[in-house]
Amino acid sequence: MNTSSLSQHEFRGQPDRSTHDRSTHRRTSRWIWILFFLCALATIGLFFIPALIIRPFRYQAPRALFVAMALRQRAPLGTLIAGVACFVLAFALWRTVGLWRRALLVLTLLLVTLSAVMARQNYFEWMFHPIAGPQFLAQSESKLDPKEMILAVRFASDARAYPISQMAYHHVLNDIVGGVPIAVTY
Amino acid sequence: MNPGTVNERVLHFYLAGINNQNFLMRDKETGTWWQQITGKAIYGPLQGAKLELVLSDELTFGEWRTESPNGQVLAPVAKYTKEYEPNWEPEVAKLPVVISFPGTELKSRDVVVGLAIGGVARAYPWETFAKQSPVMDRVNGTPLLLALGPDGKSFRVFVSRIDGRDAEFFLQGDNAADTSAEKKPWTLVDATTASQWNFQGCATTGPAQGKCLDRIPALKDYWFDWRNYHPDTTVFKH
Repeated sequence: MNTSSLSQHEFRGQPDRSTHDRSTHRRTSRWIWILFFLCALATIGLFFIPALIIRPFRYQAPRALFVAMALRQRAPLGTLIAGVACFVLAFALWRTVGLWRRALLVLTLLLVTLSAVMARQNYFEWMFHPIAGPQFLAQSESKLDPKEMILAVRFASDARAYPISQMAYHHVLNDIVGGVPIAVTY
Repeated sequence: MNPGTVNERVLHFYLAGINNQNFLMRDKETGTWWQQITGKAIYGPLQGAKLELVLSDELTFGEWRTESPNGQVLAPVAKYTKEYEPNWEPEVAKLPVVISFPGTELKSRDVVVGLAIGGVARAYPWETFAKQSPVMDRVNGTPLLLALGPDGKSFRVFVSRIDGRDAEFFLQGDNAADTSAEKKPWTLVDATTASQWNFQGCATTGPAQGKCLDRIPALKDYWFDWRNYHPDTTVFKH
């Protein structure tokens, strides 16, 4: 009796444990998915939230701008950590899922990669290229029209002119005039 | 135009974004965010710091050339010459604005000459200023002379004080708008000493000869931008 009962118990116990394992596994897998999407959201948000807030011809509310700068400041490191975590989690999920979910993983990882790359790019300088090593001409050699507007500074005997047509494109120029480091902006 | 120095540390700036059509820059050394118009660090390690504004001019190349025989001009970068827009001002004037101040005297894209003395700001609508130049005014107790140059485009602001005494200036030559051949050269004359003054603010003849007026930094800006950063600004009316 005892033996039989024990064996019966064991027999019944087997499927019980397997159901338990499967549901534990499903729960673990769900947690990995949740973590994966949180990491993906963090990476994507670190790039896209500031990019959407700091858009030309859009109103920037003071608090939104603050959030944008704070995120952008942290984006290089943040997207690295969250992005790597995304890849690790995707790797863990990869073997357990079918085709559709794999496609979802790949698409998300693409967005994550794009965000991590863009968080390191200054796309404002793609639109308005900086001047890496400014060159200067003697005023007699310049072909500027006398009516063209310029920004001018003078330190002691050093006078420099920055044509507005050029500054309106480059916007910022770092220069040293008469030993004084200046940032010329327009 | 700001010198790139904070606490004796030289910073290098790059374009980093836009804040209601006034750009944001960051410095390579600390990553701090700076507002162009104010030179203030608004976010990051140097938040709260402020760049010192240096005196600069907005002149025609022709005017500057006569004043600066040994001057140097930023050379155009061959790769980007297509991007340079010589007619920049009217092009930008067509662009939309994102902030406006309804109920104020001016329209968003009206050009003003803005200045601030000890925190007291005043805007001079460009059209009024150009028509009335030289403009005599007083801001926060400081007597001012605002002068449109002989070319009708350059401008400068001076403290209208000679040897510590307030002075009044008149235009002796013909207005820049006059293009007749017999136009007299552009000269300012002060009512106290009757000396003649050039556009650099220096007396060329008369009892004050050799003296120069002190300069006040002023910014040519759009009304919406000036008003946004100087909420208490007054507008010059005459």
